[in-house]
Amino acid sequence: MRGWEKVGSSRSNLDRAGSTATTNRITSTVRLGRVEPQAPGHRTIFCNDREANFLVRFKVLSFHLYKSLALLCLLYADSEDSAKFQAGHNASPPPPPPPPPLEEGESCWKESHVPRAWLRVLRDVVKRLIFSLTSGVRGNSISTTKYNVLTFLPKGLFEQFRRVANLYFLTISILSTTPISPVSPITNVAPLSLVLLVSLIKEAFEDWKRFQNDMAINNASIDVLQGHKWVEIPWRKLQVGDIVKVKQDGFFPADLLFLASTNPDGVCYIETANLDGETNLKIRKALEKTWDYLTPDKASEFKGEIQCEQPNNSLYTFTGNLIIQKQTIPLTPNQVLLRDFVLSVMLEKRIPRASEDCNGEMVLGPDDRETSIGHILEVGCSLRNTEYIVGAVIFTGQETKVMMNSMNVPSKRSTLERKLDKLILTLFGALFLMCLIGAIGSAIFINRKYFYLGLTADVEDQFNPDNRFLVFILTFLTLITLYSTIIPISLYVSIEMIKFIQSTQFINKDLHMYHVETNTPASARTSNLNEELGQVEYIFSDKTGTLTRNLMEFFKCSIGGEVYGTGITEIERGAAQRNGGNVGKAQKSPGLVHEKGFNFDDARLMCGAWRNEPNPDTCKEFFRCLAICHTVLPEGEESPEKIAYQAASPDEAALVTAAKIFGFFFYRRTPTMIHVCESHVEKMGKVEDMSYEILNVLEFNSTRKRQSVVCRYPNGRIVLYCKGADTVIYERLADGGNELKNITREHLEQFGSAGLRTLCLAYRDLSSSSYESWNEKFIQAKSSLRDREKKLDEVAELIEKDLTLIGCTAIEDKLQEGVPSCIETLSRAGIKIWVLTGDKMETAINIAYACSLINNDMKQFIISSESNEIREAENRGDQVEVARIIKDSVRKELKKYLEEAQQYLRTVSGPKLALLIDGKCLMYALDPTLRGMLLNLSLNCTSVVCCRVSPLQKAQVTSLVKKGARKITLSIGDGANDVSMIQAAHVGVGISGLEGMQAVMASDFAIAQFRFLSDLLLVHGRWSYHRICKVITYFFYKNLTFTLTQFWFNFQTGFSGQRFYDDWFQSLYNVIFTALPVVILGLFDKDVSAKLSKKYPELYKEGIRNAFFKKRVVGIWAFFSFHQSLVFYFFVSTSSSSSQKSGKMFGHWDVSTMAFTCAVVTVNLRLLLMCNSITKWHYNNEFFTIYVLMSTICFYLTFLLVPIAALFGDFIFQGVQRWFFPYDYQIVQEIHRHEPEHSSSMQLLEMGPPLSPDEARSYAIAQLPREKSRHTGFAFDSPGYESFFASQAGVYVPQKAWDVARRASMRSRSKLPPKS
Amino acid sequence: MAGPSSAAAGSADRNSNRPKYSQFSQQELSACQPIVTPKLVITVFTVIGIIFIPLGIASLSASNDVVEISDRYETECIPAENRTTKDAKIQFIQNSQSDKTCTRSLTVPKHMKPPIYVYYQLDNYYQNHRRYVKSISDQQLRSPGSENDTSSCKPENEENGASIVPCGLIAWSLFNDTYSFTRNNNVSLTVNKTDISWKSDREHKFGKDVYPKNFQNGSLIGGATLKSSIPLSGQEDLMVWMRTAAMPTFRKLYGRIEVDLQANDVIEVSLNNTYNVYSFNGKKSIVLSTANWIGGKNDFLGVAYITVGAICFFLAACFTYIYLKKPSRLQDPSYLTWNTNPGPL
Repeated sequence: MRGWEKVGSSRSNLDRAGSTATTNRITSTVRLGRVEPQAPGHRTIFCNDREANFLVRFKVLSFHLYKSLALLCLLYADSEDSAKFQAGHNASPPPPPPPPPLEEGESCWKESHVPRAWLRVLRDVVKRLIFSLTSGVRGNSISTTKYNVLTFLPKGLFEQFRRVANLYFLTISILSTTPISPVSPITNVAPLSLVLLVSLIKEAFEDWKRFQNDMAINNASIDVLQGHKWVEIPWRKLQVGDIVKVKQDGFFPADLLFLASTNPDGVCYIETANLDGETNLKIRKALEKTWDYLTPDKASEFKGEIQCEQPNNSLYTFTGNLIIQKQTIPLTPNQVLLRDFVLSVMLEKRIPRASEDCNGEMVLGPDDRETSIGHILEVGCSLRNTEYIVGAVIFTGQETKVMMNSMNVPSKRSTLERKLDKLILTLFGALFLMCLIGAIGSAIFINRKYFYLGLTADVEDQFNPDNRFLVFILTFLTLITLYSTIIPISLYVSIEMIKFIQSTQFINKDLHMYHVETNTPASARTSNLNEELGQVEYIFSDKTGTLTRNLMEFFKCSIGGEVYGTGITEIERGAAQRNGGNVGKAQKSPGLVHEKGFNFDDARLMCGAWRNEPNPDTCKEFFRCLAICHTVLPEGEESPEKIAYQAASPDEAALVTAAKIFGFFFYRRTPTMIHVCESHVEKMGKVEDMSYEILNVLEFNSTRKRQSVVCRYPNGRIVLYCKGADTVIYERLADGGNELKNITREHLEQFGSAGLRTLCLAYRDLSSSSYESWNEKFIQAKSSLRDREKKLDEVAELIEKDLTLIGCTAIEDKLQEGVPSCIETLSRAGIKIWVLTGDKMETAINIAYACSLINNDMKQFIISSESNEIREAENRGDQVEVARIIKDSVRKELKKYLEEAQQYLRTVSGPKLALLIDGKCLMYALDPTLRGMLLNLSLNCTSVVCCRVSPLQKAQVTSLVKKGARKITLSIGDGANDVSMIQAAHVGVGISGLEGMQAVMASDFAIAQFRFLSDLLLVHGRWSYHRICKVITYFFYKNLTFTLTQFWFNFQTGFSGQRFYDDWFQSLYNVIFTALPVVILGLFDKDVSAKLSKKYPELYKEGIRNAFFKKRVVGIWAFFSFHQSLVFYFFVSTSSSSSQKSGKMFGHWDVSTMAFTCAVVTVNLRLLLMCNSITKWHYNNEFFTIYVLMSTICFYLTFLLVPIAALFGDFIFQGVQRWFFPYDYQIVQEIHRHEPEHSSSMQLLEMGPPLSPDEARSYAIAQLPREKSRHTGFAFDSPGYESFFASQAGVYVPQKAWDVARRASMRSRSKLPPKS
Repeated sequence: MAGPSSAAAGSADRNSNRPKYSQFSQQELSACQPIVTPKLVITVFTVIGIIFIPLGIASLSASNDVVEISDRYETECIPAENRTTKDAKIQFIQNSQSDKTCTRSLTVPKHMKPPIYVYYQLDNYYQNHRRYVKSISDQQLRSPGSENDTSSCKPENEENGASIVPCGLIAWSLFNDTYSFTRNNNVSLTVNKTDISWKSDREHKFGKDVYPKNFQNGSLIGGATLKSSIPLSGQEDLMVWMRTAAMPTFRKLYGRIEVDLQANDVIEVSLNNTYNVYSFNGKKSIVLSTANWIGGKNDFLGVAYITVGAICFFLAACFTYIYLKKPSRLQDPSYLTWNTNPGPL
């Protein structure tokens, strides 16, 4: 039977792909979206046996062919024989129980409805052939395209008519073919088909791009076992059962069964995106039975049979068995490596959103963690920390779980577009009103007395005076057709074209947003949201990878009251330039060492030069402290060049690396000893090995904020080295030495304000006797069973006192280039930036300081779960109580802070406010009862920092602001944990160019660096907003004007619905005469140059206030179009009612042509009037349009008068507005009016890339006033640090690759309390 | 990083992804900024004023030079006993037996140079009504082959099963009052009725070999009849009539008088008042008018020009005053909104 299940399952694939009509007993159709109930059947895969698998396919194929042929024969057979034939065919042996897909056709056949049956059978044959052929071809190829050649037209058209506007015009077009229409059908059909054509071309183009993406992925190469060696084949040729080799950092080409790995214990590490986010590694473990199949020779011997479930979309389950050597071994998800790479989840196809459930409510509360697992996808898994793995392909192509999960999510629409919908609705209202007036008028007007109208007894209904109600109804319909031009048909397509060009030509090709190092240009992944970029008010930013590079570098230090290190941080550079000094690039000393974690330059300390400094002894202590007081493990060869330090935090690694470079090379750690190779200590150039006995390690934790090591020198000296936060160290310093303390404190502040992370170093010499007595207490504490930690802390206090200050270190948590200045610029633009990070509070605060989001003049509201009360409750362990206590305290604090904030707001010059909240508290603060308060408080704060938040919470915070405050939000992030936030916000921006693709795939725009945000928003966003607003208001204006002239005319025609303009004029008005110029405007209009846009970021506020698309603005336009339409109609009709020079009179069409000309000229002149900049493109278009009409008409007098009289009001308005109520951009225009606009990218092009944007940016910061910060960033809080030592479970830590790897190998040990 | 990301990028990866520079994509096309500054506003207004006022004066004086005599006759040309009610009027006009001739005398106020155009003017006549406008068959008018192409002409499309040429309401309701003129008692004035229609109509719209057929044969007579021997392109009255007017009040050219009329000449118009405007309370007038470069009498253009010009001058003056009195807010950074009202945040 198994053979048949195989066939059936393969068939299920075919059926699903195409016909839902044919059903299959064995499998059920799998729909996308929710997890489907498991199909009862399963499939079998023969590993490493293409023939066997092919046989399955072949059987399917041959069966289909056979059946098709049989049916074809049937067609030729006599209809009377058919039943017999059929019976025989059903009984015939090949594939025993055939699936019954043809029931339908057969039943028809029995009815002997020959022609219909013919068709059906033929259809079925073709279908079968296509499917059986393609199923073999498709293999592992995936397709994310929306259409294919056949479905393009019907499906594309269907998509188009789902738009209300298009449907409306379709209705109008249909109406216009009926006799009630005053216009010929061409009037409506021509523009509609043009619009559809353009849209379809665009669709086709985008789908073509998707197709090419698919092809690129399908053609990526992978190693497959063929015979006894690995052969590279493209992904698409991969088949079920193939044995593949995936190398480190490679992607899994299909869903694989994990067989073997180069790691000894059969594990591999994969990077996935999941709840606790970041680039968290997961461990997969192969079955022990298969560990050996690693080499090609061995792997070729692998002959297994996998029985597994049917393809489904559940990412977290997998059921199946591996039958190997007649042994059946159950498989778990732990052995399955999922395909992850679907680059072409391009424009429309998106991963389901994590944050919003169907009714738009925010998902809240702890219970939702489970449910949201289903949504957040493991889209990005790739192999890490493993040389390579070998796996067998289970599911390929469309059957992979990730593909089963991809579904169409409606793409985001911009807020402006939604407002546009309202405008359109208003226009519908106006249309209704106009039609109503006209219809009533016509019902009253119609009368037999107008004998020349021929209203005889058998007159058609529309003009029948005996049934005025019917006249009313029909005229209403007539007028709708006539006034349909009030809805601008080409508006949507014009906007789409504009946006499309904006994103593909302007945003994607902006050299200012091209990142040279990673060779990444910006990319707009959707063209829907360009103008949304011009209205963003809140930015939610991830920290690691977005604001920072997650790179800690030893940058400066202060030893014995002397600052070393000549480096200048970005923040300092900005500050210096503000004060007038120009800090060029620091001249690098010759022989500068720069390695990972070390970016220090001061010849006074390097190469032993510290010996000549005034305080060499302190230096020595400093370096020893760095080399000894840590918990770093050295790995690899014990030479300074090759050694690798495995540290809990990159800070520590940086410090030890620094010690190494200063000549104190820590190279070996044993449980009791630390070996340091010291240079230049006694004499310059002398190298000696020193080993220090480590007596005790006093661990770091978040309350102690320090770490100490007691060590014994080879000469018997016992020293306690301590490093920690300045506050805790200063409390424990010995008396005296105040001068040093003060100087060092000054240095700490200096470092802190430069955005550096500081640590104070101190030591204490211990006498042997005092140490011994203390050690007894320590051992006692360590062995105590209750409250051990607390006791250890208390004991540590006893010895960590009377310390001698050595100095302090400053580590740069390297920000991405240009981040502080970009943030300054953005905040000047009225954009509020919130940092949402998984990091600890101190880190987050530190970065917030470094990014100048927070400074010491701000009032900081801190809501933290790190209070004593909460901690005590947690120790008691009652979860319910903990929850209650946290909630209570969160409520109290929120209330208190809110009152305080409101007080500050009432005072005139209150301080700026900042809110800092951690994830645990946030969970409760997001509770519906407290949400309002939280929102209120946070909207009053200049900066908000949320730390230790989960991806889900990031999304919740985003939608809190998006929905609660109805502000336009932007999320920016780089990792998978930001995906939900990126999708929740109005605009999602992904950081591209680094390893993770998930954020980019979920995003709407991808940029390489955070700093490009200022270009994206302030330049492109602002321009787009301006342009789109202009285009929309202009469309509104021109169509209203045009329609109103018709409306006025109808008063004079007895409300009969007679058209004023010629059919062709009317249809071409929208698509030719006025459409092209406005597209040009939408592409090229520029109020102020890019340079000025960034120089005056405040201009952006006009977008936030939506200054250009408000009711008032639209109202003014409406007023002027009202005015102009009156002018057109009455001026033209009055002036043309007298005779011409030859005595002849103008007829109807002469008058209307004149009016039309005037309208077109005026409307185009109006466009010129609203242009901020006129390029040669403008000229061409405008004059082309005008010229065509000029040659047709010579009524220059009217021609001169009407446009001027019509535009009279507009001109005055524009002048007066500019003069007396100017927009900000107009003032800026004026200020810089006479400056030639240089082409800055010309310089970019000539000078080579990296310099000039940098300078431009630092210049921008230099404009700002800034307070000096008294913050001293304390560094002992890097991500992962606590996790290394944390003994409690459940602490949320963003894990790093090395961390996981390390823990994986130290699993047994890490559970134990750390030993000294 | 290996794997498909690099592979997917394919060959493009080897080269740079750096976008190519072009003025277009960098949005740096050279452009001029038309800024509506106060100076520009003042200048433009002044210039408009300077151009418009002379133009206005010129066209107004031209319009004044035009001599126009207008006489409304629809009531006067009905015998007094029939004038009482509307029904009586209708009865009179529809009665084919009644004598509908009527004489009007007009006095020439000023010397009128030839050509003097004779118009008839109708009021409250909706030639632009949709039912009316579309009741025409352009094909039929143009070519004899499309004689039966009369579907759009209902209800005046056929009579007794034969197509009407020209069909439709417009043709059917052809104006049929006729005028003849005598000057200063019995010196008759010839009215030239050629070349009163548009040339394009004669040449393209109305066929040279399409002859009236079956026209006004029905029970209801709408208006004038046509000589069936003359092709449509020769029926100038028809052509004038069929160029429908845009407004419910319109004039149509009747003919030209090609002699000088001296001031105080008395023109006797003997007219045949047969066209029914009484049922819909329409008005009929006869108009004699000269024309010059501006066309017929048309004060509107001149007045409009002068008004607009004057307003422009006035505004220019106002703006100049304000401009000199009060400095512009433009060019002054202190007027930037973020400088004037620093927000709460």
